[in-house]
Amino acid sequence: MRYSYFPVILLCLTTTIQAQTADTLSGTADEIVVTATRTERKLSNVAVPVSIISQKKILQSGSLRLNDILQEQPGIFLTNGFGTGVQLQGLNPDYTLILIDGEPLVGRTAGILDINRITVGNIKKIEIVKGPSSSLYGSEALAGVINIITNKPNNNTLNLSARYGSFNTTDINVGGSFNKKKFSYQGFANAYFTDGFSIRPSSVERAIAPIQRNTTQHNFGYKFSPKTSLSVNFRYNDEKIKNIIAVTNNGVVTTSEGNEHNKDMNATLQLAYKFSNTLKNTFRLYATKFESLQQLATSNGTPYTDYFKQQFGRIENQTDYVITKQLELNAGIGYAIETANSTRYDNSNNQKDNRIGFAFVQSEWKPTSSFTLIAGARYDNNDLYAASFSPKIALRLKASDKLVFKASIGKGFKAPDFRQLYLNFTNAAAGGYSVLGTVEAQKIITQLDQIGQITSVENDYYRLGELQPEYSTGINIGANYTINEQLDLNVNAFKNIINNLIDSRLVAYKTGGAQIFSYLNVKNAYTEGIETALTYKATKTLTLMGGYQLLLSADKDDLNNINNQKVYTRDANGYSRLMRKNEYIGLPNRSKHMANLNIQYEKNKAFINLRLNYRSKWAVNDKDGNGLYNSNDEFANGYVQVNTAAGKNLNNKMDIQVGCNNLFNYEDVNNLPNLPGRIFYTKLTYSFFQ
Amino acid sequence: MKNFIYLVVLTIAFASCKKDSTVATIPVTSATVKDLMADTIIGTSLQGQPYGANKFTFYSLESNKIIASSDSASTKWDLAFKNTTILTNGGNSGPGKGGAFVLVGSYDGVTTIPADSTFKTDNAPTYAITAGSNKGWYVYDGMNNLINPIPGRVLMIRTASGNYAKVEILNYYRGGVTPPINASAAIKSSEQRYYTFRFTYQPNGTKTF
Repeated sequence: MRYSYFPVILLCLTTTIQAQTADTLSGTADEIVVTATRTERKLSNVAVPVSIISQKKILQSGSLRLNDILQEQPGIFLTNGFGTGVQLQGLNPDYTLILIDGEPLVGRTAGILDINRITVGNIKKIEIVKGPSSSLYGSEALAGVINIITNKPNNNTLNLSARYGSFNTTDINVGGSFNKKKFSYQGFANAYFTDGFSIRPSSVERAIAPIQRNTTQHNFGYKFSPKTSLSVNFRYNDEKIKNIIAVTNNGVVTTSEGNEHNKDMNATLQLAYKFSNTLKNTFRLYATKFESLQQLATSNGTPYTDYFKQQFGRIENQTDYVITKQLELNAGIGYAIETANSTRYDNSNNQKDNRIGFAFVQSEWKPTSSFTLIAGARYDNNDLYAASFSPKIALRLKASDKLVFKASIGKGFKAPDFRQLYLNFTNAAAGGYSVLGTVEAQKIITQLDQIGQITSVENDYYRLGELQPEYSTGINIGANYTINEQLDLNVNAFKNIINNLIDSRLVAYKTGGAQIFSYLNVKNAYTEGIETALTYKATKTLTLMGGYQLLLSADKDDLNNINNQKVYTRDANGYSRLMRKNEYIGLPNRSKHMANLNIQYEKNKAFINLRLNYRSKWAVNDKDGNGLYNSNDEFANGYVQVNTAAGKNLNNKMDIQVGCNNLFNYEDVNNLPNLPGRIFYTKLTYSFFQ
Repeated sequence: MKNFIYLVVLTIAFASCKKDSTVATIPVTSATVKDLMADTIIGTSLQGQPYGANKFTFYSLESNKIIASSDSASTKWDLAFKNTTILTNGGNSGPGKGGAFVLVGSYDGVTTIPADSTFKTDNAPTYAITAGSNKGWYVYDGMNNLINPIPGRVLMIRTASGNYAKVEILNYYRGGVTPPINASAAIKSSEQRYYTFRFTYQPNGTKTF
């Protein structure tokens, strides 16, 4: 049953694996951030909450995939199911935009973009902007934006690294760059394999299936003149997942075996022209495609095929104009085409498409060095649903050399996705219920009704119509207090008010009782909380970094029902009683408390770290059946995961690293099937030139 | 097959019409019925769907016992259970005066049936006790394939003889315990369709319990 690996062909070279920037773990104040304003800004001057994960931090954590490193960040909760998704400020993974080098990744399943798709092998840094950013980025940027910035051509480098660990998990990276006069090239290849694992005893199925992933990326640069530069970037990611799915029904096991093959490609062309020191124009062309094919052979003889393809193309122009020393203006305009095909729509040959035209403008006013005001807005118009206008305003006030305040308020939106419009899915295995996108629902139900296949329609059927985008208003207020050279404290309070949330609702019954669901803009919710980050440089060699997030959330319908005394729960005898308001815990699958601590010791080109991550309990199931989550429901236990790694640079060319994740072997078979017990790994890196 | 009913008579209390001392007081019946089988699973179809014998279990609230299915066309029974469907003895379900509606509230809180209440009668496939997830007495948890009675749902019943009762469904699984969410499909299937419910029956024809 062992998964046979495909021969690894490493076609190209990449980026240097070594940290190229001399950053320290905490002293990132003068790092450049691009995601917050779509222009280069010093981190210390940015008016919205931003955190940066440096290459050094990624390397020293022994991360392989993007989820490995994000899991260790304060305020980020990773969700399981349809891959690994990112929950930021308590918002579902659907509401965080994920960019690679400023361009969006596509290919979400049930709203979740599986961040396992992304290798960290060529990541130079990760910028995380929290709070609505639709004023710059459009759809999906409600909770925030995660921008993965990959290595760019540098001096001539060539690096090799290989890591091997538990479950035969093997990760090989080759990266290098090359510069000659006006031309530069950066190449990267990553091959990743794992046997997968299951912590459920005697299970045929694996929580993590055997996977083979290959990523290659090429970046070409050409400087026509000091004023004109061209950059072309290609990325290709291919993953083959071996599926063994076992379904047990009354002791009869039906197994399905097969493969899932996911491919995603990205290509970017960027042409930048500097008219002068104050006026710059950047033109970008971007195309991306995600394709997923799952083919299973079932032991009962029925083959299963699931195919999904999404394509996205965009043309965009941005102009940055420094009008005076106090005032800067950035403006952009663009047009995008998005298409999707799926076996879960009416016909996989029938391509669905949407066209989006957009424009944005942002101005930054800096009357004094201690005060910055940024105001911006974006307008997105498109074929399929209502247009969105997303304004944002942010300000930064430097009260003293030690104390900086930041406040921002903005609107975010998420456009309905193709699934919510076009899904046409009937689950024959589970009673024949159907889920239909809103474009399909009325048409199909009318057709079924004409042939006598509909028993009744629900009130929600009459509410079906054109789906509206989901909206949020996000407020962030924070402060950064540099107590002394050793101690730095960051606090941010946030509130996200989300309206018009799309949820599935029962709209009709088929003859025989099977249900038909479709999508409606029905829910309103909010999340709020406080994030803090503390850095303490105890000595020259010892650094402590801690983070904590308090998160509260609620569904507004739930609150109304509670206030109207319509919500009951059960006592120890199973008898109903009115639920108390303080028993309500808000949205499920969220921890109220999350904390992390990173202890790092570094001396003589060697390091050792200990990284603790804590999540308090989170609701997983509405056990009492009252339709909302309360303290009588089922929770996953809170837990601490401890990871550790140590490394040494041997002769400026070779790095050796060993690590252990989940040191105390924490397992939760039911709620954390993706968390293996204790795992070990070792890694070797070699740099040919420096 | 008859020893599966385990009756607990909790209280025999409450005098009915205090004002009229000449009428003998008939006590209300309060009881909890455990593990009432409602078409329990006997096999699995080729498509993997578990099925029962497709038979209702008839129950009399008045006499607090199961009624033989041979008496299904009589007024001896008040409620009939099959799968998640509950019939009342009236409309096109039976010859009695039965009817019902589902009240959102606490069981103990309902001391009188509100004067403006409307009792519905069965008109299959529409029932007085509304069928369907989240419409009547239960919610289907599709993710975990479990049926949970919704707390705070009181079934207000008019019996076959035209008296009134209130019923709270407490559980749908054998022993009154819902299987854990990670229980096997086989267990979820074989343990289901065992009703635990409590009821209070007012035999004097008034709407006060």
